[in-house]
Amino acid sequence: MQNMETVVGLEVHVELFTTTKLFCGCSTAFGAEPNSQVCPTCLGLPGGTLPRLNQRAVEYTIEAALALNCRIAEKITFDRKNYFYADLPKGYQISQFFSPMGTGGYVEINLDGKIKKIGIHQIHLEEDTGKLFHAGDDILTSAYSRVDFNRAGVPLIEIVTEPDIRSAEEARLFLQRLRSILRYIDISDCKMEEGSMRCDANVSIRAAEGSALGDKTELKNMNSFRSVYKGIEYEVERQSGVLKEGGKVIPETRHWDESKGITTAMRSKFVSADYRCFPDPNLPPLETPAEWVEKIKEKIPELPSSRSRRFIDDYGLPPYDAEVLTVSRGLADYYESVLRYHRDPKAASNWIMSELLRLLNAAGLEVDECKIQPEALGKLLKMIGDEVISGKIAKTVLEEMFASGEDPEAIVERKGLVQISDESALEEIISRVLENNPKSVEDYNQGKKKAMGFLVGQVMKETGGKANPQKVNELLKEKLDG
Amino acid sequence: MNLRDITAAELTAQVTNDSGLLKPVSESLYDLHEKGRDLNVFISFDKQHLEQETAALAARLARGERPSLAGIPAVLADNICTVFYPTTCASKMLAEYRPPFSARLVESLQQKGALITGKTNMEEFGLGCSGNSSHYGVAKNPWEAERTAGSGAAAAVSTSSALLAFATDTVGELRQSASFCGVLAIRPSYGRISRSGVIDYASSMEQVGVAARTTTDLALALEAAAGPDPRDPTSLKAEAPPYASLLESGEGKLKAAVPESWDRTSGLEDGVKDCFQSELEQIKAMGIEVDFVELKHFREAPLAAAVISAVEAFSNLANMDGVRFGCRGSAASLQEMYTVSRSEAFSSKLKKFIGFGALVSSEKYYRKHFLKSQRMRTRIKDELAACLEEYDLLLTPTTPFAAPLAGGSLDAFHLLDPANFYTAAPALAGLPALTFPVYTDDGLPAGLQLIGETGDETALLRASLRLEKGRSPLKFPEPGSM
Ligand SMILES: [Zn+2]
Repeated sequence: MQNMETVVGLEVHVELFTTTKLFCGCSTAFGAEPNSQVCPTCLGLPGGTLPRLNQRAVEYTIEAALALNCRIAEKITFDRKNYFYADLPKGYQISQFFSPMGTGGYVEINLDGKIKKIGIHQIHLEEDTGKLFHAGDDILTSAYSRVDFNRAGVPLIEIVTEPDIRSAEEARLFLQRLRSILRYIDISDCKMEEGSMRCDANVSIRAAEGSALGDKTELKNMNSFRSVYKGIEYEVERQSGVLKEGGKVIPETRHWDESKGITTAMRSKFVSADYRCFPDPNLPPLETPAEWVEKIKEKIPELPSSRSRRFIDDYGLPPYDAEVLTVSRGLADYYESVLRYHRDPKAASNWIMSELLRLLNAAGLEVDECKIQPEALGKLLKMIGDEVISGKIAKTVLEEMFASGEDPEAIVERKGLVQISDESALEEIISRVLENNPKSVEDYNQGKKKAMGFLVGQVMKETGGKANPQKVNELLKEKLDG
Repeated sequence: MNLRDITAAELTAQVTNDSGLLKPVSESLYDLHEKGRDLNVFISFDKQHLEQETAALAARLARGERPSLAGIPAVLADNICTVFYPTTCASKMLAEYRPPFSARLVESLQQKGALITGKTNMEEFGLGCSGNSSHYGVAKNPWEAERTAGSGAAAAVSTSSALLAFATDTVGELRQSASFCGVLAIRPSYGRISRSGVIDYASSMEQVGVAARTTTDLALALEAAAGPDPRDPTSLKAEAPPYASLLESGEGKLKAAVPESWDRTSGLEDGVKDCFQSELEQIKAMGIEVDFVELKHFREAPLAAAVISAVEAFSNLANMDGVRFGCRGSAASLQEMYTVSRSEAFSSKLKKFIGFGALVSSEKYYRKHFLKSQRMRTRIKDELAACLEEYDLLLTPTTPFAAPLAGGSLDAFHLLDPANFYTAAPALAGLPALTFPVYTDDGLPAGLQLIGETGDETALLRASLRLEKGRSPLKFPEPGSM
């Protein structure tokens, strides 16, 4: 039983950034008054159900399919998935069952510097359902339930991976990269917490690589990347436990309970397993001529994998830096803009990754909301490079820039923060420090090299941190050893 | 005002000239409605609404407007949505349903000055035309009240309660009932009249048609109703021809084909058979060439049509779940609510039909029945297209029998309703088809069906006018004579 292998496939639903629903003109805005964004079409009223296809949603889906390296279907067709449920107004969901928009793609993830391709089985476009609010725990035990149809008919894309994922960590990396790609092409905000990105996981384990797959369970209700990770991890443990005890994994849908950190078998919904899918007779097939697809392709920007490779090749960045900087298009753009003002790729990367991202995270801001313009950060880096200010001073200047958006030169000027590199000025201060600290000098002479650090600190203190630390070190050493 | 011997064009001219005539028109309509109450033609008819419509029209005429259908009484089958009348589909399910919108067709007719007097009886949701599934009882035939009319729409035209009637024709309902009631009717090419606001039943075949008492009226009505509609994705993109002005009988050479298997149906009554044969002789005498042709797949049409319409109806009627509108049965759970609501509100015939639809679309039978029927449909389409390349028209009886007796076996569910023998093929192929009234030796009306090339309703209307001119005036039953 030791060589157990985890096999995971993901089904990811993503709400598209269209302003209107997939088959009617209702708004898709999040958080409106319940049932305020509805019409006869998305309510499934008799006589009102004829769909009018949202062209923008189709283009977004093609764009996503291309970004995930998929083949595009020659004809776009829609099918009906028939089942009864209170959040499904028409009694069927319009989806793409027979001929998904894109097939046979892949997404690259970076596993400790090694690139792994996760296959994309298919990507298709479909409509969302409404939302149920139960008076009790669930539909079976509640005295009544209420339905909000604002979400009914909102365009969703479903991305189905091949069972290529081998661990919870790979699943997390895949989702991060997928989100990053979809944000690059700007078709969704992919917020799992708001439900604009949802993920179900099919989890199974098998004795060894290449052996027959065990029965799989489908995990639902994971509302963050962290819960996807934890849910899969838990489920793998649980299944191995069952197998070790000689039991069998029951193929079923399981619910991830975030508060308890466990999965539980879900009560069956009244959903028939046979969806009786057939082509929607109200939606004639739509051709996808090559010129159209080509035009959509032109809109796709450089995507994270190739941008990250370019950052490594062109700027000599370590793979980790390149990965972090290309997570979002905004951040990668920001980085490259900074380089236009001060071409020191590694310094720019260090400052953005350690300092700027820390400030942004603490403030809960995205890079495009940052008050520090790339030009200003470039100037700051140049001042560090030219030894006008020390790195330590630069950190405080950066904080001030972040808060006020003020120009770094102006801040340094106003506060008199220019670094003291002038040797005569420094020698004077150093002599004073040595005079005032005879004990430390003696310690140093007796071989206690630590005393050096104390003396440097004293010099820095005297200069209000403005002394060039490298120079101070050199000069102190000269004086003490000489 | 005598509405019996007036054409739509004459009535419009008179009313436009003297809007004072609208009052006697509206009074006659009311009288006719009262006299014909026993026939069960109408589901909704409201004197007050009629008065409002005539007052509004009088005001428009006074302002100098000259709408093309001014003052023409028209009725609508009760599956065409109207804000001013309930729209029941003759089902208990929708007995209280008042759509918050009117069909695109209704808007066009109102804009053109037609008086929409009432909503007519039909088989539940459009389920054939020779049963008794209507929640409001069988619509009786004005020729012999113990026989069925097939639809209230055709009966209303037959009794002059309306000069025009608009109703859907899925497998042949409108043409068959026009044949039973001795009036003309045309089912235009699929997509010619918008289905926006028409309650979806079997979307890929369903098409709104019109019944009238003369070819000229038919042309006028079709012109008013036809045309592209962005709200209906299956609507034909091309503008509809100006049928009325293109109408002329002409003496040109016409070649007509008759399927040589036309008499190979068990349901064929001798009266209808003799009548059709003598019609063919008359047609030849008019200088029209008639050939018998082999159409191998024509006889397969009723089965394919039954399977496809059942699957589509099963899905289209799934929105009738008691959640947002319609009958809601009292139940302890959601599942039970569906079962109770639908069991109580649907007729047994409809339940069997949609049950059949659910069966043949299930995974087990999808390929064997549904896909096979779709392939059959393609063969029928190709065969008819090839035939109509060589011939101007295809001629058949409209139904194998005159109006059936009401009651008795009407309750039974016949998947292969023999009434569909001639009408199913053009419905599957989306071709225009017209029925022209003829009479059996017993004095009962029957129909001669003319099938034309897709998009060419004009050819059918011209042939119909040629038939009309070449014979004595059509007969209509005396209103209130029963
Ligand atoms: Zn809507």
